[in-house]
Amino acid sequence: METIKNYLEQMFANMPRTPEVLRAKQELLQMMEDKYNELISEGKTENEAVGTVISEFGNLDELADVLNIHQEIEQEHSLVESAPRRTLILDEVKDFLAFCVTRANGLALGVALIILSVNAPILFDAIHMTAVGVALMFLLILTAVAIFIIIAFNSQKWDYISKEPCNIDFATSNYISEAKEQFRSSYVAKITVGVLLCAASWIPVLVLSSIPSTSLGPTVGIVVLLIMVAVGVYLFVHAGTIMNSLNLLLKVNDRETVSGSYNENAVPHYNGKSGERIISIYWPTVRSIYLIWSFLTFQWWKTWIIWPVAGITYAIISSLLRDKSTDQA
Amino acid sequence: MPENNTAISSDVIRGYNDTMILHILRQGPSYGYEISKRIRSITEDKYIIKETTLYSAFTRMEKNNYIRSYEDSGDTGGKKRTYYRITEEGQRYYNEKCAEWELTKDVVQRFIEGGEHGNDQKLS
Repeated sequence: METIKNYLEQMFANMPRTPEVLRAKQELLQMMEDKYNELISEGKTENEAVGTVISEFGNLDELADVLNIHQEIEQEHSLVESAPRRTLILDEVKDFLAFCVTRANGLALGVALIILSVNAPILFDAIHMTAVGVALMFLLILTAVAIFIIIAFNSQKWDYISKEPCNIDFATSNYISEAKEQFRSSYVAKITVGVLLCAASWIPVLVLSSIPSTSLGPTVGIVVLLIMVAVGVYLFVHAGTIMNSLNLLLKVNDRETVSGSYNENAVPHYNGKSGERIISIYWPTVRSIYLIWSFLTFQWWKTWIIWPVAGITYAIISSLLRDKSTDQA
Repeated sequence: MPENNTAISSDVIRGYNDTMILHILRQGPSYGYEISKRIRSITEDKYIIKETTLYSAFTRMEKNNYIRSYEDSGDTGGKKRTYYRITEEGQRYYNEKCAEWELTKDVVQRFIEGGEHGNDQKLS
């Protein structure tokens, strides 16, 4: 029966979501289900029953008049001839998700390395070797940049998912929704721990500064702070990247068509294009501000404050943008 | 059932899907699958109506007030389905279509080779 449902979803995938179309789909499904059940009760195998039902279904062209979908049918025909809307098959989607996990690891590691790199000048400054510290910092940043480049290079293979018109069928959409549902608890845990780490990162600074005996106290405090922030940001970026990939897949269907509604409620859209843009330029901007400020003032012991602030701000912005768009949907 | 070598051309039969459906509805209200099953058994498997054909006929005839649809769960109290029943106008339309068919059959039959039996009966 699943096969029949998927077949019908596929047939209607690019049709507009008007009441007439949805009713027709419902009625056709009922007829097919009745026929299927009867064939099964006559002792046919599942395969035979599905084959018969599908071969006797007919053609959507016949419904063009009554459903007023001439335009869509014609579009479908011309699309099939010229540039078809690419249907992502389940295996393809699984491969893509595997890549997304690798990408999430890489991006998160890269961003964490950049934050950690700040520790180098702070530590070496304490032993009056600032130049070595700065050099080490650049080495770490370059490593991160190398990771980013490799990821960007490998991502090209999957560009078509976000750039070309694509479709996912009902079964694939279900698979992704389930994957997302499973990921949700880990996502919430990672974001929560990330926020807590950033929020609590000033505590070591405070504690270590208050111990009068060691002059290195504040420096160690800042180093610990940066490590906490780096781990926190690692968690945000990791969880966020995977979640974005899942949402990207759930959004590939045209929202105005029947296929756009498979998982309508499960797809939190960022607040339009601007929301997505803010998210995508957020960390590069923070990084630039940090580097510019630091190099203009050379006050590394002050400029780290950007990272905990940025971490918390990121969590707030991304949840705000997501909430708004869920209301819209 | 033996396979028919000559398949029914959907172009030819299209004009009479309505007649078949109305004929079945004249015997009482019915729903999609039951109607398609009746058409199949009455024609001894010679004509199997496609689901899309059936649905487009329902929608068109309802728009023309030949049939009415309503929700019902049937005698067995099973699943809710869309049932159709024939209207007064549908009855009239059915009669017109029957007369039209008699005429069509009469005309076409005169040009069918080896169709003398039919001819004799009709034209006698």
